[in-house]
Amino acid sequence: MVVDGLTPGRVETPSTPEQLAEALGTAAAAGESVVPVGGGRALGLGDALERFDVALETSRLTRILEMSQADLTVSAEAGITMEELNAELGGVGQFLPMDPFNSPGHTVGGVLATGLSGPLRLRYGSPRDFVIGLRVALPDGRLASSGGRVVKNVSGYDLNKLHQGALGSLGVIVAASFKVFPRPLHDVTLETVAEDPWRDAERALRLPQPPVAAELTRDGRVLVRLAGSRVAVERMAAELGWSQAPAERWSDHSRRASETWARISVPPGRLRALVAELPGGDWWASPGVGVAHWTGDLDPESVRLARAAAEQAGGSLVLMAASVELKRQVGAWGSPPATLDWMRRVRDAFDPARTLSPGRYVT
Amino acid sequence: MALPRSVLGELRRIVGDRHVVHEPNDLRIFERDGSISGAVPDAVVLPGDREEVVAVVRLAARHSIPVVPRGAGTGLSGGAITLRGGIALQLSRMRRIVEIDPVARTALVEPGVVNSDLQQAAGRHGLFYAPDPSSQKACTIGGNAAENSGGPHCLYYGVTTNHVTGLEMVFADGSVAWLGGDAPDRVGLDLLGVAVGSEGTLGTITRVKVRLLPLPESVVTLMAAFPTIESASHAVSDVIGHGIVPAALEMMDQVTIGAVEAHYRAGYPLDAGAVLLVDVDGLRETCDELSSEIERLLRLNEATGLRVAADADERELLWAGRKGAIGALGRIRPNYYLHDGVVPRTRLPDVLRRVTEIGEHYRLPVANVFHAGDGNLHPNILFDLRQPGVMEQVEHAGEEMLRSVVELGGTLSGEHGIGIEKNAFMPWIYGPDDLDAMLRLKRVFDPTGMLNPGKIFPDPESEPRLVARAGFCAEARWW
Repeated sequence: MVVDGLTPGRVETPSTPEQLAEALGTAAAAGESVVPVGGGRALGLGDALERFDVALETSRLTRILEMSQADLTVSAEAGITMEELNAELGGVGQFLPMDPFNSPGHTVGGVLATGLSGPLRLRYGSPRDFVIGLRVALPDGRLASSGGRVVKNVSGYDLNKLHQGALGSLGVIVAASFKVFPRPLHDVTLETVAEDPWRDAERALRLPQPPVAAELTRDGRVLVRLAGSRVAVERMAAELGWSQAPAERWSDHSRRASETWARISVPPGRLRALVAELPGGDWWASPGVGVAHWTGDLDPESVRLARAAAEQAGGSLVLMAASVELKRQVGAWGSPPATLDWMRRVRDAFDPARTLSPGRYVT
Repeated sequence: MALPRSVLGELRRIVGDRHVVHEPNDLRIFERDGSISGAVPDAVVLPGDREEVVAVVRLAARHSIPVVPRGAGTGLSGGAITLRGGIALQLSRMRRIVEIDPVARTALVEPGVVNSDLQQAAGRHGLFYAPDPSSQKACTIGGNAAENSGGPHCLYYGVTTNHVTGLEMVFADGSVAWLGGDAPDRVGLDLLGVAVGSEGTLGTITRVKVRLLPLPESVVTLMAAFPTIESASHAVSDVIGHGIVPAALEMMDQVTIGAVEAHYRAGYPLDAGAVLLVDVDGLRETCDELSSEIERLLRLNEATGLRVAADADERELLWAGRKGAIGALGRIRPNYYLHDGVVPRTRLPDVLRRVTEIGEHYRLPVANVFHAGDGNLHPNILFDLRQPGVMEQVEHAGEEMLRSVVELGGTLSGEHGIGIEKNAFMPWIYGPDDLDAMLRLKRVFDPTGMLNPGKIFPDPESEPRLVARAGFCAEARWW
């Protein structure tokens, strides 16, 4: 395992959350730096790592703790992959709408910690909207839980949200509970190739029952997924009049990634103009969400320009994967958020010694 | 304890003479919220804009005066009670809908905007704001965000936190920050996610940006009567278990039906053990298909008297009964104590059985009117405060009900907040390390503990027991 050119001094593969917390606490007490590792699908995310003493793997935390079909909830350990968990849920006609790019092989904990999302976010939101509980190992060796296993909960601060997208900078997610979703009765994939694909995508997004996913690629292709009752899907499909495509398009699409890869997130109405200005490279976009992914041989100047435009539009450009050199030249995250000072104080409260992935996160 | 004259003078200078309340008789109006665990504030200050909020908070920080933000005072967990005195920061003057963007489908509002006023404004653009607490005719968007409020239609659409995209917050030190934003995937920690539902303990909300949704093409409202609350609970589990998540799925028991019918004549059958109210929305075709499938499942579970609202008027009437149910309970007893526990949906029959037993044991009438689809109970313990010793019985009954909820894998509150009503019970669901993780945030944002002190967390300065609380139904017509 190599992260930003560094190899870890040692690898820990605890088999229980308690052991993981202990390993983290021990390493932190010894002044070692720890990088949580899930499926290893997003290790390039963030600024270049400063030190790498311990790789703390969740690969043995793969149990499903509770699957309650009639409650539409599931709890699982962090190291289970999305594919494994969704296979189990599929057995009872349910699923978790988490479909990050650079699949397969993402773990549940990895997706939550990195805040990755995919096309289905259009309909289901990001995991932020359906995580109902988390268990997190903290650098002081303690395990802290937030939320619970019920679908509605306002008991105490919503720390579930704080840890999501925090790239393990406050603690290591060891287990999560989710509200799950029934598999749609009917699910149809349609596509069109158009001269003005953005206009076609917009038309799909404005349907009385919008698609659950709508993606647009640089070659002018629009791929949408209509889901729901048979009559509803048929009516929407008829309104669009596009040709049917195989469902495998989505798994192919979710494999997209690259060694150099940036994510542009802006208010949806601003996305088209930004993407139009991208100097070269390949891209794909979720126009209804406001996210575009940009890959290719990205040079520092192009990244700076595209980032300036994204930030000008009220959004961001984050390097999801890049060479250490490029990350050092332009930074992974871009301009610091206005609340950076508060975020640092929160980090201080959880990881004062910067044990967790030093140098990598915004704080 | 009255504030020093100099402080009152400064407050008046900040917000204007008219907007500082400090006469004892006037202050009593702000003694309570939706509960009666009252405490009189030392002053009530009504700021007109963010700058005034900042100035008041800075002044309070300089003098170590507690600050408690307050919206419409409809909260049910004591969140707006000035437990340690200090300043009640009454935000109702800040009630401007700043902007509705029909293309981006967002609204930017000041915290004092009333939920149903936003609904109306959004409706003019063919849009709606999904969270619909039963108090929506009075409660404010700022209060909704602070409490992470729910409502019947949160079953499908999610609660407030799923619809707030940004907040402007004034922190304890008087600094201001915008949390969140219009773009997805904000860089850095999700402070917005923590701020929503923080019950005024981390900062004062001065603006809220929310997502609006297009009004559905069609809505079908079904009302079904059941012989027992048990059969109705099984019907709920069956619908959800079949992978059907309707827009709303509400239950009322026989006690509630009686009170509601006397008041609203909504058409709920008086001889039913329980009534389910179901909303299905979306495409016309989807509504037809889903509602007939739901009908089938309800009938399989002994539903009788199934009725589909013929038009908007009938739908509104059926819902008026539900939304006004708690007010109508005043016909049975003048006071109520309303709980908000949540259980995994399949445990509804078990928990309702326990609730009934506990009510019988204490000889207190209990009316259940709740978000069955979410497993979110609202048992109302009905009583008359004038009856000597009754409060203690009510407290014990409530505590036992919550205990049952927790024993069945549930949580203390689904949408009303913890406040001072359930903070003593937080150790039932969170261990010391869990609570410590939450308190780390409190210490970051409010190191001196001046913002809404004594809330959410077990409070060593209060007796670790329930204090008297009950809402006069007459004041609570809108629930």
